Amino acid sequence: MLEKLFVAPSKCTPQIDFDPESRILAVEGSSYPENTFVFYAPMMEWVKAYFGQESEQKTIVNLEIIYFNSSSSKLLFDFFDALEEASSSHDIEINWIFDARNEVAMEAGEDFTEDFSHLNINLVEKQ
Amino acid sequence: MEQKKLIDEVEALRESFDSTTSQIIKDLRRQEKIMVRSDQRQQREYDELQLQLDEIKRLNKEIEDTQREVLLTVGGIGETRSKETFNHVRRVAEYSKLLALKMGMGIEEANLLKDASPMHDIGKVGIPDSILNKPGKLTEAEFEVMKHHALLGYEMFNKSERPLLKAAAIIAYEHHEKYDGSGYPRGLVGEEIHIYGRITSIADVFDALGSKRCYKEAWSDPEVFSLLREQSGSHFDPKLVDIFFDCNAEFLAIREAYKDE
Repeated sequence: MLEKLFVAPSKCTPQIDFDPESRILAVEGSSYPENTFVFYAPMMEWVKAYFGQESEQKTIVNLEIIYFNSSSSKLLFDFFDALEEASSSHDIEINWIFDARNEVAMEAGEDFTEDFSHLNINLVEKQ
Repeated sequence: MEQKKLIDEVEALRESFDSTTSQIIKDLRRQEKIMVRSDQRQQREYDELQLQLDEIKRLNKEIEDTQREVLLTVGGIGETRSKETFNHVRRVAEYSKLLALKMGMGIEEANLLKDASPMHDIGKVGIPDSILNKPGKLTEAEFEVMKHHALLGYEMFNKSERPLLKAAAIIAYEHHEKYDGSGYPRGLVGEEIHIYGRITSIADVFDALGSKRCYKEAWSDPEVFSLLREQSGSHFDPKLVDIFFDCNAEFLAIREAYKDE
């Protein structure tokens, strides 16, 4: 069984809380790490291993990114690519959570639903 | 047979080429999109920051203006209690700034001195009217009480961390010190007296001598000038007396601009 992945948040990096037992993968906070791809490498590896295991059960992905730089934006696209690939053999539901006042996060959510039409993405507006 | 194998291989190549190129195209489009979004966002953030910066500048100015106005008003209270005019305060402020600039101080510090100098006599609010407004000469005991206004003014502002109020404390405390050490309250000598104190001292005396007070008539210019010359190095810092005479026209212009009605 894959171990839980937890990364505590910092000023410029989000909290990552991926739990294989509850099958909830959550990223929450700001994302402008000094080296985005190095920071997210463990997360991307974890996701690959996680979806490498077969399962009938649904996986929920909760993304609540308050602020992100351009390379984090690229990273998110890569992340959605991985989810899209996995979605052919897994049941995945994605919640893109954003504050109603955060236009940038809202637009990013719209971009993702547009680009990944095969994925089940909910745009969840927090009041 | 060979031919068929070759065709299959080329077909496979084409498929792989197709999938690679479409992946590249997808990536390029994505990069483009990220860049456009990022530019839009940067612009928005920049605009927002500029707005906030303007607001901060406005608030900062508001704070400074308020401080200045309060000080000028409070200074005016000190002066009117002793039947001096509000314009005396303004003139002393302007003379002080002019002297500061001519001494080589930067404009910011000169303005600080200008804004703080109205406080020089604020301690007089703690001196009884009977002494403050007494016509004629004070007795020795009365003069001792009167001298106390320097310390009173200092104590009012000394606890503040604000540069403006710190300067006001120094001015209130030291504007009656004399260059030769014969002043009060501490009898400081020469450059032991803070430059703010030395400047306000000559600015205050120059203006007071030329104005009518409860205990004296206004002096004529030649009388005032001869006293300042006489007191150079004893009451006043000689450098400041030199500046006063070198730039005499500028001082007289200030006096004219803020003359009593």
